[in-house]
Amino acid sequence: MSLLEVKNLNVFYGGIQALRDVSLHVEKGEIVSIIGANGAGKSTFMRSVAGDQKYSGEIIYDGVQLPKESYKVVKAGISLVPEGRRIFPGLTVRENLMVGAYTRNDKKQIQEDMEEIFQLFPRLGERINQLGGSMSGGEQQMLAVGRALISNPRVLMLDEPSLGLAPIIVDELFDKILEINKKKDMTILLVEQNANLAMDVADRVYVLKTGSIVMEGTGVEMQNNEAVIESFLGQKKD
Amino acid sequence: MQYFGSVLTLAGINMIMVIGLAVLVGYTGLFSMGHAGFMMIGAYTAVIFYKYLGVPFAVCILLSGVFSVIIGLVIGYPTMRSRLTGDQFAIAMMGFGEAIRMIVSNTEPVFNGALGISGFPKLTSLWVVTLLVALGLILMFNFIKSAYGKNCIAVREQEIAAEIMGVDIVKTKVIALAVSAFYVGVGGALFAFYMTFISPAMIAASKSSDLLAGVVFGGMGSISGPAIAGGALAILPEILRAFSTWRLVIYGVLFVVVMLFKPEGLLGYREISFKPVIRFFGRLFGKKTAAESVKTDNRNGGDADE
Ligand SMILES: Nc1ncnc2c1ncn2[C@@H]1O[C@H](COP(=O)(O)OP(=O)(O)OP(=O)(O)O)[C@@H](O)[C@H]1O
Ligand SMILES: [Mg+2]
Repeated sequence: MSLLEVKNLNVFYGGIQALRDVSLHVEKGEIVSIIGANGAGKSTFMRSVAGDQKYSGEIIYDGVQLPKESYKVVKAGISLVPEGRRIFPGLTVRENLMVGAYTRNDKKQIQEDMEEIFQLFPRLGERINQLGGSMSGGEQQMLAVGRALISNPRVLMLDEPSLGLAPIIVDELFDKILEINKKKDMTILLVEQNANLAMDVADRVYVLKTGSIVMEGTGVEMQNNEAVIESFLGQKKD
Repeated sequence: MQYFGSVLTLAGINMIMVIGLAVLVGYTGLFSMGHAGFMMIGAYTAVIFYKYLGVPFAVCILLSGVFSVIIGLVIGYPTMRSRLTGDQFAIAMMGFGEAIRMIVSNTEPVFNGALGISGFPKLTSLWVVTLLVALGLILMFNFIKSAYGKNCIAVREQEIAAEIMGVDIVKTKVIALAVSAFYVGVGGALFAFYMTFISPAMIAASKSSDLLAGVVFGGMGSISGPAIAGGALAILPEILRAFSTWRLVIYGVLFVVVMLFKPEGLLGYREISFKPVIRFFGRLFGKKTAAESVKTDNRNGGDADE
């Protein structure tokens, strides 16, 4: 049984249909990437799962229906790093993390998890009392990931984590994401514009086009698929 | 001297109400144009319990806060639940303030309508107010430091992200409204027992904007700023009294000038810090203090979200 199974997800914005019968599954411990052009509906999909968007269809998580309210989704163990980071600029690094831990009550364990996050991202630990808004783009993205991790999720969803970051920072970030996946056996659902990167790290890849899944395969399969090369890597490969 | 004390007492009462509103407006980012309604509720609750039911003054003050909170929850929960946007909420609160005034003005039994209630002693002294200002500040600083306070800031800065992180947005906003209602309600009670007379006309709709001005003036995202502004804005009209009819003009011009040159308010996102003072004395006596490396707590990161 899949850890996360999405069946016939449909989302409408007024009269516009942003997602059409999207069905996909994510197995425990997998890294699954969703790639697609601007406006394909990737963020809409992520926000639907996170409970931030109304949808019709079914999302089964760990054998039961996933709740549709954000705080219940977080409690159930699914955490989203939203597009554009959206950290809290007026709160310090520690306070940002504390807000991320809102759904938890185990104070001691939270403290330990925070230490673990600082081991993963030492720069957050060094800047624990710095305001989120005064950190660099890369540091803010790490904070956004840390803020999602501290809710102690089983599934970590990342919406375009590479957006606006220098290539070297992107590499560093993706190393960390792989590390989280390996060390904590965390299931990861990733959305990326940077298709090459997304296919590199993923076990499996879905291609979303104007709201529908048009292709599916392993990372390697997709990287050798002509249609994919043409539509995604043609302009991107350098 | 008695005049001086009277101005200070009114300034203290205003401070209590403004720091209460600061949680809602400054920290949570919800503008209210109707908090005079809570002042009215607080004032009448205290007077009615004291005069008709013989409840002790101290208990009356507490009941004023509690009643304001109850009414705050009754109107707050549905408005927050239905996800009113900021401007819609401000207008809804304006309607609330007016409704309270109308209800009180037109209820003859107990409330005595527009004529108001008199015949109760002056129990609000400068000492009582000073004590409550201090208590109110201590409790408020603790609230702001708590997880609830951090949630308020998170909701103001990134409501969607806060929600995605699992923060209960409705609860956070309702709590902020309840805290502000409590403080303003207590302020209303102190006000009534200072004036020894209460009528709906004494708490005009403009009181709502006066309180709001205190928060904006003092700094959005600060408690000490609004506390100072709340006191100053109550004292200022008295100082300007010497200029008779021109005082309202001067008052207005001063407002525009401050907003032009310090749009973030007197203290912006900061709190008053005594660290520079400690550092100064530390250096004076040749000692190194822990505060030496610590800068003032600058919370001015509000616009950098990319
Ligand atoms: N709140 C909204 N109201 C109306 N339409 C929306 C809303 N959010 C997204 N859309 C539309 O839905 C479609 C899918 O948007 P979405 O943000 O999911 O795309 P995306 O794949 O994440 O794109 P990008 O790569 O640019 O982030 C777009 O056509 C977009 O204009
Ligand atoms: Mg997107």
